[in-house]
Amino acid sequence: MFRRTAVTQTGDQAASDASLQSVETDEQKLWEDRKTEAESGLVNGQLSIFLRRYVPWALFFIGLVVIPALYYMGLITLGTVNMLGRYMAFAIVAVGLDLIWGYTGILSLCQAFFFALGGYAMGMYLAHHGGPEGIIDANNWKIPACLYVVYPYKVGEAPGDALVPWFWKPFYTLPVTVTLGLLIPGIAALAIGYFGFKSRVRGVYFAILTQAITVAGWLVFCMNNMKLCGTNGLTRFDRIAGFKLTTPHVKVSLYIITLLALVGVYALCKQIVRSRLGRILIAIRDDETTLRFSGYKPYIYKLFAFSLAGMIAGLGGMLYAPQMGIFTPTNMEASASILVVVWVAVGGRGALSGAILGTLAVNLLYNFFTSEKNLLLFTWRAEYWQFILGGLFIGVVLLFPGGLIDLWNRLVGKAK
Amino acid sequence: MCLFLVPPLPYFPVFSFSRFPFSHPLHFHVSHNELMNPPYSPMSRICIIISLIFLQIIGILYPCLAEVDDAFIRSEVHKFAGDDAAARKAAIMTLAQSGDLRVEAILESYKLGELYLWNGEVVLCIETIEDEDFNEFCLLSDLLTSEPILDADGKQAQIPLEELEEISPSRAERKLTNSAKFLVRLSSPDPEIRMSGVKKCGDPPGIIEGVPQLEAMVQNDPVKKIRYIAKESLLLIRLSRTSLEQDPDAHLEIVRELGEMKSLRGLPRLQEMFDELMIEVEALPDFEEGTDIEDLEPADVEALGIYKYAIAYKYAINQISNYQGFVGGVGNIFRGLSLGSVLILMALGLAITFGLMGVINMAHGELMMIGAYATFEMQRLFGHTPDSPSDWYYVAALPVSFLAAAFVGYLIELSVVRHLYRRPLESLLATWGIGLLLIQLVRLRYGDNIGVNAPTWARGGLEVVQDLIVPYSRCFIIVLCGLCVLLIYYLMNYTKLGLRMRATMQNRNMANSMGVNTQRVDRYTFAFGSGIAGVAGYAWTLIGGVTPDMGQNNFIIDSFLVVVTGGVGELIGVICAGLGIGVLTKVIEPLGIGSMVVGAIWAKILLLIIIVGFIQFKPAGLFAPKGRLSDV
Repeated sequence: MFRRTAVTQTGDQAASDASLQSVETDEQKLWEDRKTEAESGLVNGQLSIFLRRYVPWALFFIGLVVIPALYYMGLITLGTVNMLGRYMAFAIVAVGLDLIWGYTGILSLCQAFFFALGGYAMGMYLAHHGGPEGIIDANNWKIPACLYVVYPYKVGEAPGDALVPWFWKPFYTLPVTVTLGLLIPGIAALAIGYFGFKSRVRGVYFAILTQAITVAGWLVFCMNNMKLCGTNGLTRFDRIAGFKLTTPHVKVSLYIITLLALVGVYALCKQIVRSRLGRILIAIRDDETTLRFSGYKPYIYKLFAFSLAGMIAGLGGMLYAPQMGIFTPTNMEASASILVVVWVAVGGRGALSGAILGTLAVNLLYNFFTSEKNLLLFTWRAEYWQFILGGLFIGVVLLFPGGLIDLWNRLVGKAK
Repeated sequence: MCLFLVPPLPYFPVFSFSRFPFSHPLHFHVSHNELMNPPYSPMSRICIIISLIFLQIIGILYPCLAEVDDAFIRSEVHKFAGDDAAARKAAIMTLAQSGDLRVEAILESYKLGELYLWNGEVVLCIETIEDEDFNEFCLLSDLLTSEPILDADGKQAQIPLEELEEISPSRAERKLTNSAKFLVRLSSPDPEIRMSGVKKCGDPPGIIEGVPQLEAMVQNDPVKKIRYIAKESLLLIRLSRTSLEQDPDAHLEIVRELGEMKSLRGLPRLQEMFDELMIEVEALPDFEEGTDIEDLEPADVEALGIYKYAIAYKYAINQISNYQGFVGGVGNIFRGLSLGSVLILMALGLAITFGLMGVINMAHGELMMIGAYATFEMQRLFGHTPDSPSDWYYVAALPVSFLAAAFVGYLIELSVVRHLYRRPLESLLATWGIGLLLIQLVRLRYGDNIGVNAPTWARGGLEVVQDLIVPYSRCFIIVLCGLCVLLIYYLMNYTKLGLRMRATMQNRNMANSMGVNTQRVDRYTFAFGSGIAGVAGYAWTLIGGVTPDMGQNNFIIDSFLVVVTGGVGELIGVICAGLGIGVLTKVIEPLGIGSMVVGAIWAKILLLIIIVGFIQFKPAGLFAPKGRLSDV
């Protein structure tokens, strides 16, 4: 573009015509080169196209059909299915983060906070219908078991004076819970984003700010007198929508719901990224100042992406809580937030499928390395996992900036 | 005074000589008849006289021992066994004036009836044992040292109960002893002990016997603080002895004086009395508004006088609590300053590396932790414990903690950070990973919690004005921070390295082309910033706990907020923001509405909201870089 205009402005007409021609062919050639370069992987031709087209579907099929089938055949345990379900809930969060970090260039360190907001919403619903303990309070509400155990009585209050707090009451029915579980993180993200983006807090500053907010939120949720069960967290879950959480069918169904939600979120984000909106988001990442000078208001687009990612994280939390069976403030620690970033980084940022891949890979590694193993010369202990994690942080930044998805692309080539 | 400097000296000779008569073999081979009247056996008398003479000689040789004249105490205690009640009372009071802390224990034993007369000596028997025939035997101990008295076989002497004469106090003496116990401390030569005694006298119910001595101390004591406390105690004793009904003027005068003195100890007592008074005020009949005082019944007019008293109480209470509020406020600001100093030390390194290299170092908190652990290692090396302090360890730890953290920082720069210039987001991730590695390494090596004991000179504090105590440790931290800031200022502005640093910060490529080895500058700067973080950790050991994840939990986010608020690349911004955030945290914490107190957590959240609000107006911090640099 620039080259062409530059050429037309200088020199005489004929020369410029000729050069225009040559430039066009140059550009075409360049484009062709790029295409072939991009398309060429280790595997070429029909096989490459076949792999690119069918491997994602194959993975989806494995997740949806093969794994439940394996369970019902008795080849894998229910625990494994449940674990995969939980990791997919994490993957949902990671896809959201990839949307704002990989595509929009905003590093948010409060995704775990949004995740926990969603998780707490669902956890409160589950606690309402949970464990047997607890009594009926003066307003005829049953106090959830986990709240009743650690209820912060004021001086002079007897156990009979415990009341279900007002903010617990909306979470009694499932539809309202799901709505609020999406809306609350979305609105929280909107508020944080508004104050952050409006004053053009960018890059590292925004990351630090969001991390500080996560820590603040964590501190609040840890306080027992907030009537959110303090550090104990929400426990004693029993039933969801009338079904017992411990039965295998319910667990498998939760797994499948999570998988479908993941695919849905992936499709939504993919659609956004491909649309004009997605082009603007990428433009924000690459050069926000130029975009602003072109007449756009970047902060509106950033706000949209950020609160959408917040809602997606909330969805992840809502799916995580019933599968985990407990929801505590540990899920919103600052380190949990950075962990989400590392999932995306390992998978390869700027590619939504990379986020999913990275999440599953890191979590399966975690699952593998946090059990004690007797190697030949020494015993591998669970606490050594921190070394692997720290190494992952460093390695993925220094050695594999493209992440796992880059390896895949090198194998089969990239369609563009 | 030398008594307290060399404690073993006075005990050693005294111990051996006073035991001499009992360890004489004769006493354990005497006939029954002799045993029946032991106090008057000539042999033991001679022994006592000899030991007294020895003690006299020792007294001449060690003049500072005069205050713990053991023979004197023994002879006075011996009077307890006498028949004369007045002499017994006088002996108790004489002992109380002696100022020897051992008298406290003796008087306590006397009160409990544990003193016995045996062979003309007063001995202590705390425990008795029975043999098969239910004969009771007493296990004897020495009066002064409480060491067991040994018989010929080297065992604790067991004497049948019948051979001992019990010295039991009368009811009045028991009461007197109870008070006299506290008076002992009043005469002690050690100001610390005297102060505790003076304080104790005033605590409820108040030791009335101490009044004359306290009065003397108010006038004559050399230590000002003791004079103050003596007066306070005196007033408190009088306050509880005078009642409002009988002598209102005297009572209110005491209340007024307590208020003038801003006595913290008087506050709860006054409040209690005021609350009692308010119950009476509530019970007054309602008077119609606008009623002329002339029209009231005489009884009602008298009842109204109670308001006058209530006002006097309230005035004193307000005087005290206002002053305490002021002292508390100043103390909080001071705590905030010291917290801010640690934050400044942390943030300086961050600001420099971020400004210079565009690198966010999330492992900065771990470098601080390394500084703290280096201090701990020095403590171990010097063998410093609270019981046997060796304060030099803390002096040695300053360069060691700096160098340790700087070395680790140098390694981090060499291995990871130099690949990440101008990629702040990625450097954030990689350095967080380094932080995880360091935390886990330290945790494996040291476990989860260690204790660094402050050197002796950092304990305690200076009482600047009444009740406002400034801890030495916090003073030290503020001074240390000031020195570090001066050092950095000097380094940045007056040295060649500083010149190169500033050049690199302003325009890396230009500096490079002018012959500055920017890579080396980066490396040294990073190591220097890390070293400063190590010093922050070193300082923190004085006022806070040391754990492997201390940096990640408590400091990294706060110090980044300092950098964000202060702006990058200007030291003055970091200093202002650090002090501001530190002081604000500590000032907000104790605030409250009614009985609701903000507390540490909400203070942090409030502070965060304040910072977010602040960023709305000054997005690039207090002292933003201008011009070309502004869009980094």
